[in-house]
Amino acid sequence: MNLLPERFNKEQILFGCDARLKLILAAMLLMMVLTHDGFFFPLAVAASGLLLCARMGVPSRILLVRFSEPAFIALVLIVLKSFCTGGIPFVAFSLLGLKITMYADGLREGLMIASRIIGSVTVIAVLSFSTPFTGIISALSWFRVPKGLIEISIFAYRYIFMLFEEATVIYNAQKNRLGYSNLRRGLSSFGILAGSLTLKSLEHSQNTALAMRQRGYDGTVPLARHKSFKPLEVAVSALLIILMGLLWIL
Amino acid sequence: MMERHTAHGARFRAKPGKAFAVLLLTAHCSLFAASDAHAMHISEGILPVGWVLFWFAVAGPFIAYGLYRLKGRSAADLSFKPLVGLMAAVVFIISCMPVPVITAGTCSHPCGTGMSGVLLGPAISVLVASVALLIQALFLSHGGVTTLGANIVSMGIVGSYTGYIVFRTLRGLRVTIGVAAFVAGLLADWATYLMTSIELAEGIRGNAPFLPLFWKLLVAFVPTQLPIGILEGAMTAGMLVLLHKKRPDLLVRLCIIKSGETCA
Repeated sequence: MNLLPERFNKEQILFGCDARLKLILAAMLLMMVLTHDGFFFPLAVAASGLLLCARMGVPSRILLVRFSEPAFIALVLIVLKSFCTGGIPFVAFSLLGLKITMYADGLREGLMIASRIIGSVTVIAVLSFSTPFTGIISALSWFRVPKGLIEISIFAYRYIFMLFEEATVIYNAQKNRLGYSNLRRGLSSFGILAGSLTLKSLEHSQNTALAMRQRGYDGTVPLARHKSFKPLEVAVSALLIILMGLLWIL
Repeated sequence: MMERHTAHGARFRAKPGKAFAVLLLTAHCSLFAASDAHAMHISEGILPVGWVLFWFAVAGPFIAYGLYRLKGRSAADLSFKPLVGLMAAVVFIISCMPVPVITAGTCSHPCGTGMSGVLLGPAISVLVASVALLIQALFLSHGGVTTLGANIVSMGIVGSYTGYIVFRTLRGLRVTIGVAAFVAGLLADWATYLMTSIELAEGIRGNAPFLPLFWKLLVAFVPTQLPIGILEGAMTAGMLVLLHKKRPDLLVRLCIIKSGETCA
């Protein structure tokens, strides 16, 4: 069960970059994409992001899965905006006796929102494909994101995999005993699975807490110390921001 | 381990609350579908910067209050933070179950925040939702980082507080745990989508009037959200009834029932 995408091509240059700088770059790019009044900049960001993903060796299937939902939403928004908002008629036709009008200004707005969606999703995709979760969490702690949130995120990330593992074990055991051979047995097995999993998860959380206490847990999770910034990486990031800023202005 | 599960299951099968227990499958069914899940909330890039900042500003005080509550409760009980983390993982998985809403340009899904609101209290449930949404936005493109504030408001704040208030009110009226949890889960889900419709309509309307677009979005959610709301109600009820039967000590610890209270 590959719920969360693994990192690709650890040798690639982005993987080794400081996660804090990547977060700053991503935040700046997101703001630029959202504030740009046109199609060019978001689409340029999307194109360069997709190129980076290809360079990182992200399989096209994973990219398609990642973009299918935002692309679907973008498409629907184009339709929604074209037919429901706007004042300048572009195309009009009759369908089942209903007069339907597509508006040019609505279409333009829809396309702009769609380009922003694709642009900003690409930015986050590049960030997540090139940075491990712990790197992002560690960077967020450097940005003074409250410690409580950081700690819960670490626990949650761990438990997501634990829940999957537990479910797989129970599911396979049930399957081996023909637990899903017909609908009735399937429903019953699934009910048992869900109930067992809920209780086991809670027991696990208590056992984990106990084990942590025995190892000296005092209510706070220690986080990795941050290295100082590398001047070259800072310079390259600054250059990238300036270049993107120029593109944004154009 | 297999024997243990089977034995556990056999005990579980014998219980009269089987109907609810079967509905619990919704809580974990995405465990098998999530690898292909395309669930989302309000997608990255939809909201203009003004609204992005506004929704973050609205969510901020609730998160701050949640952190304050978390600090207090985890100081008294060191195992509380891991429990909150577990609940965030459960909410993450539940809200990965997508039902595309073609007309609204988004997807419906159970939220799970009604359940976490009832179990952990609304303030901490806001944190639970925030973490689940952040992980989804970063690694699955479900929702977004820029729309995190808006998604926290709809799913985290509105969902959690609605679930909690409804549950407490009904329990105060001596309604059984199962029924109270069902209504809480149902209304928490519907309230979340009411709020999402408001946020989406405001975000994408441009110069168009708010109300017509809002109604269109709300109506667009109805075909999926009506049944999903009922499913979420059943799931919340099933979860609480099961906990009440198997681990009442936990419900006592979470201040949901009083010590010595018997099954609903």
